[in-house]
Amino acid sequence: MTDHVATGGLAAAEIQGQEASANRAAAERGDAPLLPSERLWGFWEFTYANSALAIATWAFLIGGAVGLFVGPKEGIAAIIIGNIVGVVLTALSTTPLAGRYGIEQFVALRSQFGYNGSRLVYILAVVVLTMGWLAVLAMMFGRSIDGLTALSAGEAANPTGIKMIIAAVGAILVTWFIVAKGPTSIKFFNMVVSPALVILMIVMLYLILQHRSFSELLAMPALSPPFEDNTLNFIIAIEVNLAAGFSWWPYIGNLARLTKNERTAFWPNVVGIFGAAALGEIVGLLAAVALGDSDPTIWMTKIAGPIIGIIALLFVAFANMTSMANILYTSIVGLRQVGTASIRAISWGAILFLFCVIPLGLVVFYPQMYDGFFIFLVWTSALNSALAGIGIADYFFLRGQKLDMRSLHAPQENGPYRFWGGFNPIGLFALAVGFGVYVLVFNPQTLESLPIFKYITASVPSCLAAGTVHYVLTRLFARGRGWGLYP
Amino acid sequence: MENDIAWQNELGRRARIYEDIETGHRFEGTMTVIDYAGMAALMLVLVLGFWIWGA
Repeated sequence: MTDHVATGGLAAAEIQGQEASANRAAAERGDAPLLPSERLWGFWEFTYANSALAIATWAFLIGGAVGLFVGPKEGIAAIIIGNIVGVVLTALSTTPLAGRYGIEQFVALRSQFGYNGSRLVYILAVVVLTMGWLAVLAMMFGRSIDGLTALSAGEAANPTGIKMIIAAVGAILVTWFIVAKGPTSIKFFNMVVSPALVILMIVMLYLILQHRSFSELLAMPALSPPFEDNTLNFIIAIEVNLAAGFSWWPYIGNLARLTKNERTAFWPNVVGIFGAAALGEIVGLLAAVALGDSDPTIWMTKIAGPIIGIIALLFVAFANMTSMANILYTSIVGLRQVGTASIRAISWGAILFLFCVIPLGLVVFYPQMYDGFFIFLVWTSALNSALAGIGIADYFFLRGQKLDMRSLHAPQENGPYRFWGGFNPIGLFALAVGFGVYVLVFNPQTLESLPIFKYITASVPSCLAAGTVHYVLTRLFARGRGWGLYP
Repeated sequence: MENDIAWQNELGRRARIYEDIETGHRFEGTMTVIDYAGMAALMLVLVLGFWIWGA
């Protein structure tokens, strides 16, 4: 009898243990808030993780793009100014709430945009951004392969030729294959690629300084300044970097929820993301200006010679594939979180492939996107800066830093975040206003701007306008209608 | 159905833990005025410093 009871007790304990571990896994996927005891990252763990995210080949591209507008001295200033403002405002809007409650970013967003509105924001901010970056990184891979073959054969590279397109299409298909197999291989590549990219940056910096002294570099002119007005060129360079800083908006909240508290969720972004991205961009800027070409796949061969050039290009190709796998995996995991039942019913491999169709189309039909990729980056800032403004206004000023975990995770159809058919018209209107203000002040497509752009940029007024509209209209209209559990 | 009820209970348990922490003011490592002031000062120094140096 005692044995039976003991065996039964053990079995019950085992079942309880399994349930606890299944619940924790579900919380890690974002279905529930992570409890403080389940969050393991301290300051340095998070700093390392987001440095690894920020150190990527796109830093070379952004640095090179800055070199088109301004020389290295103004460029370094623009990189620091743009990134610190962009990263701090983005981190402020996403990480304190994630560090306090361990909540998934797009679940928390239900409180700002409604449960369907958060889905819409996910599509606008994550899907569009990821598709664009997939195409750009695939083309960078293709250019690396084209440069490699040209270097080996002693021929001139053709960065927009058929070889580049075939290699870029291949890169997307291989990425699809890797991600379809599961996340284990991606984690392994991350451990290798991030430290190796730091070494590559240091080697490149050393080689650049072998060609020219630092003071010579600082005195060099921009590669292709679009306007005669140097202040305007400088502000556009700052705007490109603000866009780079704000472009972390879709990603850092969900990393920060793994940290132990608010402070460890916020401060590592200033060290990790700001520091690492600024370092990579400065290397890209100095190399581009010193060697006369903003494309890293070209300046690397120029600076390093054939043998190190081939190694560097091979590595860049490999690193691009890792970045592509990372962003594709993260986006599809998120898509399944915010998606409807019919989206979740699509098989993992099929949904991945469907996601890759537009990037494939961009690579084949619009390879010119690579040279003007900063235009695409700046367009995303019109959205991300407004999202940051709304996030700060809502969490800090309207809710007094308090979120209701119970109603955010309960069934939404009849809950307080239903707003109007699942959409919060106030939040979405504020987003549209922020976007409109941005495009009015500075048109990313044509680079035309209002005179005020030279003094306040476009991202900062967009962020302020969206936050103010959200705050005022919520105070005026939301509480009376019982929308959104505002205090 | 049973799984759904169990999951709703689990969500309720997690929400209750946060409600208790909130009521007892037991959040650890919260951002204070010093953090926000430090963040604003850092941003201001970098923006003004590099603006003057670079522009």
